[in-house]
Amino acid sequence: MNGLGKEVTIVMVEDDEGHARLIEKNIRRAGVHNEVVPFTNGSDALDFVLGEDRSGLVSAGRFLLILLDLNLPDMSGIDILQKIKTNVHTKRLPIVILTTTDDEREIQRCYDLGANVYITKPVEYDNFANAIRQLGLFFSVIQIPETQ
Amino acid sequence: MPISNAAFVRSTLLLLIAGMVALLGIVGASLWLANKVNGTFSDVVEVRLVRSAAADLLSTLQEAETGQRGFLLTTDPAFRKPYDEALQAIAEKRQELNAHAAALPEYAAQVGDIDPLLSEKLVELANTVDLAEQGRTAEAIAIVHNDRGRVLMDELRARLSAIISGAEENLQENVADTLRSAEALQWTTVVGAIALVAIIAVAIVVIGQYTRDILAARREVELLNTSLERRVDERTQELIRANQEVQRFAYIVTHDLRAPLVNIMGFTSELQASLDAIRAYVLADGRKPGEGDILEARRAAEEDLPEAIGFIRSSTKKMDSLINAILKISRDGRRELRFERVDLKALAEAGAAAVAHQVAEADGAIEVAASLPSVVSDRLSLEQVFGNLFDNAIKYRSTGRPLRISVRSANRGRAGVTIEFTDNGRGIAPEDHERIFELFRRSGTQDKPGEGIGLAHVRSLMRNLGGDITVRSEPGKGTTFALFLPHDLSKIVRSLQT
Repeated sequence: MNGLGKEVTIVMVEDDEGHARLIEKNIRRAGVHNEVVPFTNGSDALDFVLGEDRSGLVSAGRFLLILLDLNLPDMSGIDILQKIKTNVHTKRLPIVILTTTDDEREIQRCYDLGANVYITKPVEYDNFANAIRQLGLFFSVIQIPETQ
Repeated sequence: MPISNAAFVRSTLLLLIAGMVALLGIVGASLWLANKVNGTFSDVVEVRLVRSAAADLLSTLQEAETGQRGFLLTTDPAFRKPYDEALQAIAEKRQELNAHAAALPEYAAQVGDIDPLLSEKLVELANTVDLAEQGRTAEAIAIVHNDRGRVLMDELRARLSAIISGAEENLQENVADTLRSAEALQWTTVVGAIALVAIIAVAIVVIGQYTRDILAARREVELLNTSLERRVDERTQELIRANQEVQRFAYIVTHDLRAPLVNIMGFTSELQASLDAIRAYVLADGRKPGEGDILEARRAAEEDLPEAIGFIRSSTKKMDSLINAILKISRDGRRELRFERVDLKALAEAGAAAVAHQVAEADGAIEVAASLPSVVSDRLSLEQVFGNLFDNAIKYRSTGRPLRISVRSANRGRAGVTIEFTDNGRGIAPEDHERIFELFRRSGTQDKPGEGIGLAHVRSLMRNLGGDITVRSEPGKGTTFALFLPHDLSKIVRSLQT
């Protein structure tokens, strides 16, 4: 996965460490070897993406792809989505929602707020692994813009 | 003073009857007085006729005497003419007087007395005139000298005058009588009118008071109506909110149970995959395993298997604790409530005493208001609610300043009791004000242990007590939890059962 020839960092916001591990394993199996930075809660993830001052300046010049779970212990993933998509510096970052929710309103809301992809985690592991691997394949071909 | 329906009907009926009696009194008195005046008036007419007849008779009698004297002096027939005319008039007047006096018994006797005197006088006059006619003037004058004529005339004059003055008196009496009657009529009318006006005034006051009462009652009904509508609206909103919460609860529970399930299924599959690698090595069946197989099996045994088992175990544990938490809330909801009068001040002080040690460690203080109301409710539930709120305030205190917690009662315009727990802790972001009450959800930096059950539990307890909990908070400043409780839960529960 490229961004103008530079390595793209995958930011994984997932409170369940088991899920995080399974996701990483399957991304790797798809041949994606980019760095994965995991976060188990929203505040830390926002600190990384938008900086502690939440200005977003910290992400300037970065190539990031965000994997976001909606159910986090400290805040809703939708709040994170909204904050990233309304920040001038980070609004173009691709955000993949990867969550257990398949509530239609929730899906609509995420796309309205600017989510790029919405994937429901399948409970069945074969499907889960398959979905993540295909996502990994997708990662390996998409272009990521540089953060301004 | 409100007037009852029966009292109103009774008093208006009484007033109507009183008014009618007054009116009848006036009419009756007027009729009687008018009748009396009428009678007096006809009397007056009669008496006047007698009087004038008597006066006329007297004057014609005098004229006749004057004519007689003139004729006797002159013996000129021309002088006899007045006498003859007077005689004729006397006959008329005499008849008149007799006729009029006949109707009035008091005069009839007097007139009867006069009649023979008058006849005698007329005879005396006729005698003298006849004698003078025959030229026996001296004889006639002798008769006049005889003085009987003068005496008769005086007698007649006196009697007629008596009749006249009597009639005069009678007339005056009648006039006075009429005047008195008129005055009485006037007074009767005035008194009756005053009575009528008074009755009407009282009736107006009574009716006005009754109408005002009816209007006030109607206004009250309208007010009750609107407040009833407002309460129905409030209840409907509460129901909608409760329904949304139930849906949200179901959603959270399914999601949170599904997440560890995904782990269990996922790592079971991973376990299977690792097992394949180990099997390839262990069950080589005499075939020498390749370098790759050995490496693969080694990594599976060293890393993958313990990792998978660890995640499966932790996920199972998590599912168990989630199910326990749900059970706890469900059990609290089904627990039989025991109603008793709970002094909220004592309860708050007991809760504060239970955490006094931790508060002292945080260099803090809890201030419980001098007076808090008491309610009829379930003590155990309230103890749990208070304890939870104190624990939260201590747990999420701000590190920069000494902890301050205050418990006060507040008036929020609802029929019930509102108790506010205010702290100066780290506060809660506005977007998380609803989220903190949801099961397994927490807010802010996750630097404290916790499962996200406390406030969900508190809210379900408060709902169970017929109350509610709301939050106001500003991040970095502090948080206020407002507890709303009904005055008497037992009444509400009883009304639910009937």
